Amino acid sequence: MSPKLYHFPISGPSRGALLAARSIGVPIEIEIVDLFKKEQLKESFLKINPQHCIPTLDDDGFVMWESRAIASYLADKYGKDDQLYPKDLKRRALVNQRLYFDSSSLYVKIRAICFPIIFLGVTEIQQNLKDDLNSTLGFLDQFLSESKWVAGDNVTIADTSIYASLSSILAVGWDISKFPNILRWVQQCESLPGFAENEEGAKAFGEAVKKNLKQ
Amino acid sequence: MPDLYYVPGSAPCRAVLLTARALNINLNLKLVDLHHGEHLKPEYLKLNPQHTVPTLVDDGFSIWESRAIITYLVNKYAKGNPLYPEDPKARALVDQRLYFDIGTLYQKFSDYFYPQVFGGAPADKEKFTGVENALKLLDTFLEGQKYCAGNNLTVADLSLIASVSSLEASDVNFLKYPNIKRWYETVKSTAPGYEEANGKGLQAFKELVKNMMKK
Ligand SMILES: N[C@@H](CCC(=O)N[C@@H](CS)C(=O)NCC(=O)O)C(=O)O
Ligand SMILES: N[C@@H](CCC(=O)N[C@@H](CS)C(=O)NCC(=O)O)C(=O)O
Repeated sequence: MSPKLYHFPISGPSRGALLAARSIGVPIEIEIVDLFKKEQLKESFLKINPQHCIPTLDDDGFVMWESRAIASYLADKYGKDDQLYPKDLKRRALVNQRLYFDSSSLYVKIRAICFPIIFLGVTEIQQNLKDDLNSTLGFLDQFLSESKWVAGDNVTIADTSIYASLSSILAVGWDISKFPNILRWVQQCESLPGFAENEEGAKAFGEAVKKNLKQ
Repeated sequence: MPDLYYVPGSAPCRAVLLTARALNINLNLKLVDLHHGEHLKPEYLKLNPQHTVPTLVDDGFSIWESRAIITYLVNKYAKGNPLYPEDPKARALVDQRLYFDIGTLYQKFSDYFYPQVFGGAPADKEKFTGVENALKLLDTFLEGQKYCAGNNLTVADLSLIASVSSLEASDVNFLKYPNIKRWYETVKSTAPGYEEANGKGLQAFKELVKNMMKK
């Protein structure tokens, strides 16, 4: 039985887990949990995940959540080799560092901009939030100035996670022309398996933000 | 012996100190004077362009993000130690808790508390609720088990205790959650060298908060 992913395509973390699974090549059964309809708060879902967030993975009865932990688990368990999540300690530590960078910096700054626009009636992006995201993008650009991919010269689950986050704000129309290394890397990401599927979700996310933004 | 660049009051630094004590690893401690911008000097930026503490340098290999550091330390110096189990499912649960800490618990607490401490902002009710919700989740995770990822002490407990203990400096009463209270006492008495590794730095953090709030 293939692992089942409770998924909502608009969500960056959810796309992050799926994009990792696509590179890993493990077949995934997808079950949509519509957050706009608050399906994550249904009794049946709360029973498997009291934190009621997606993505959530059910691998033959083993249930877990947190997109980056899911990516790590899938890569360790189903990876054809260890390229996406290296066994070499230093390389693995670097991948983890980038994953934590995503979860506490990049994704957080993007959410700080978009969440209030989608859900709280905010119609403009404050300058300090813009600056905050741009300074975080500066770090990412610097990481990418030293290697082809975000954690070395091979694609890893740090790339799929970070790209899933970044693609959300790119779909809003964010200007990254000041970040040459990110620009280069974004082009490389077009070759990732599942790229088109991710773009579709990101596009829907971008629309949800843009329709509430004062132009 | 690895170098650890740190400041005593910082929660992520305390998580690394706790892990090193639990593994009986000696670290060469290097105090970083954030107040005078030592972390923004070229020497430090070379080690960590993101200029955060903690940063670990092990035999020329530089790594940051506390949770990437502590998992690296176990992988390298105590492979197979139950602090970071090797079984994929057990490990996935530990990783999930580490991401819960960085992305939810510590995040919500920082959002609520640091603007008050470092920016003189008034307490925000909604953000306070965010902290309470995160604590409720932790309390749920701890239901029926001794530690946050099962019945063994893991790096997730060490990371979370460093975060949760920081709440002592605030007006959030986390001890009203019965499972958290029990867990808090358990970890304090079973994490090797707790007082030295976390207690002392926590005291420094409380004093910093007191001084900042006076201004
Ligand atoms: N850190 C988590 C974030 C998960 C998350 O916040 N998911 C959101 C959608 S982006 C969600 O499910 N929200 C619904 C809810 O919390 O009720 C991860 O990376 O998986
Ligand atoms: N997620 C990081 C957080 C590190 C962090 O924010 N450290 C603070 C001190 S607690 C710091 O270095 N601030 C200085 C700076 O960012 O320039 C970790 O767990 O290591």
